[in-house]
Amino acid sequence: MKLTRVSSWLLVKRVAIAGILVVVLLVPQLFSTFFASSIGVQSLVLGIAAASIIFLNAVVGMVSLAQTALYGVAAYTTAKLAVDLGVDPWLAALVAVGVTVVVALLFGAVASRSEGIYFLMITLASAVITYYFFSQVTAFGSHEGINGVTPPALLGKPFVDPTGMYYGALISSVLIYLLVRYLRRTPFGYALQGVRDESIRMRALGFNVPLLRTAAFAVGAFIAAIGGVLLVWYNSSISPGTIDLTRTIDLLTIAVIGGLGRLEGAWLGALLFTVIQTYSPRYTDRFETLIGLVFLAVVLTSPGGIAGIAGSLDRWVQRRLAGRTA
Amino acid sequence: MAASPPDARALRVRGLSCRFGGVKAVSNVDLDVAGGERRAILGPNGAGKTTLFNLLFGEIFPSAGQVEVFGQDVTLIPARKRIKLGLTRTYQTSRLFPLLSVAENIYVAVLGAEGGHLRPLRLHRDDEFRARAQGIASRVGLSDRLDIVVGSLSHGEQRQLEVALALAGKPRIMMLDEPAAGLSPAERGSLTDLLLSLDPAVTLLVVEHDMDVALRVAQRVTVMHEGRVVAEGTPAEIRGNQLVHDLYLGRPRGSAEEPHARR
Repeated sequence: MKLTRVSSWLLVKRVAIAGILVVVLLVPQLFSTFFASSIGVQSLVLGIAAASIIFLNAVVGMVSLAQTALYGVAAYTTAKLAVDLGVDPWLAALVAVGVTVVVALLFGAVASRSEGIYFLMITLASAVITYYFFSQVTAFGSHEGINGVTPPALLGKPFVDPTGMYYGALISSVLIYLLVRYLRRTPFGYALQGVRDESIRMRALGFNVPLLRTAAFAVGAFIAAIGGVLLVWYNSSISPGTIDLTRTIDLLTIAVIGGLGRLEGAWLGALLFTVIQTYSPRYTDRFETLIGLVFLAVVLTSPGGIAGIAGSLDRWVQRRLAGRTA
Repeated sequence: MAASPPDARALRVRGLSCRFGGVKAVSNVDLDVAGGERRAILGPNGAGKTTLFNLLFGEIFPSAGQVEVFGQDVTLIPARKRIKLGLTRTYQTSRLFPLLSVAENIYVAVLGAEGGHLRPLRLHRDDEFRARAQGIASRVGLSDRLDIVVGSLSHGEQRQLEVALALAGKPRIMMLDEPAAGLSPAERGSLTDLLLSLDPAVTLLVVEHDMDVALRVAQRVTVMHEGRVVAEGTPAEIRGNQLVHDLYLGRPRGSAEEPHARR
């Protein structure tokens, strides 16, 4: 008796998740062009960027404020290569991801000997340096940024027909999700989790903790870079305003609302953020206040964010069902 | 002294000192431990036992003195490289990976000793490592707790896992910092049995407050007080040592000899 109730809940849950996945899969067919583009593509791209924050926090225990800047490095490199040098967009993207990882290795090498709030401050410093670099250097258009970036033909024109762009971002998101899941179960992933839990013990066990942190930071940058490439293709331009401190805090807000402990939270937080950002101007011009209230509500009810709420709801229902028949 | 072959002596310490500002936490310590010896280090709180451990393990570096492990000067070799020399240790307050399972904790320790932990691919030796982790778990009596998340283990089980992590590194010298801290009498008994069952070739250094554990396991005992070594001998000698009694139990008021000169 007890088993059937709980297992029927598990079935309901599976059907619900499958339903959500089907909707996510058919967004370009089910919704308007505007929705698929402004909500669909945007939240997937922001989700990828937020996923780089959550990966670093959940697996290695490092909260980084440099992820917006790093995705800016990828976006700027893509734009510079494609617009000014006429490089093929795919090649430009590949180089951009590589450049971002190298920059992250430098930033990471500096930051990796610290932890906690000190790590956070050093990554913030890297973010500010990156912002000023791109807003001052004329080769990158200084305040104007770089305009006229066209995505590869395969992805189409995001505002006319977002289908290609949407699936590009969706496939990237799924691959990143699977990559992190896989990585957690490798020796490297276990070493990172050890660093997260007890870095002094890890050193005694023979691990090079700063090196592991730096490598993890590079993996985080790789994820953020994919977001940056998609971002610049989607917006067809990049300017310093896209990587300033406000955007840095926006991305952290997305990660916290979604849930810093679970990777899927990145996309949940990004979706909620994008929906509020897109539709709130119809009702109020106080977007910042609104998102602040949502942030407070989520943080006060669940430290694990939306992903955490979903998890505890699931456990609560299971307990109730098991308890009532017992 | 100079005649003994280098490998007969696992540990040779000369003039080891460590200052924290004005405090001399460890002061001019000499220590010789033979290979395979079981040595207990006793002393009241603040005697410098844990600082000595941190110095021997390279987690902090001394202000003076020298540490040799199997004849090699290791004074300035950082902690993470000491596992290659056969040195492993445990901590006074458990330092475990609370979000990972028991099996995963020991697996990480095996990985650390074997290297290759930057490899983002599953290792072909993974099965071997996991089997080794299981073997170690059963040696410390945790084989039925393999899949339990460490954060939800009892304190006693966490202390057993501490020893397991030190065993995973194939140690030649194991340093245990108060392994019995907070254990029940029954748990102390099984810990003592575990320590007595270790490979006799492994050199054991145990900091311990619990005399029953320390004096049963140890062949020789070093007593520290205020950063200095104040006595050394067999457990029987130490049991009969008046100075040690005074340090641990206090002296009758007005007795003539001051065991530790205070400034």
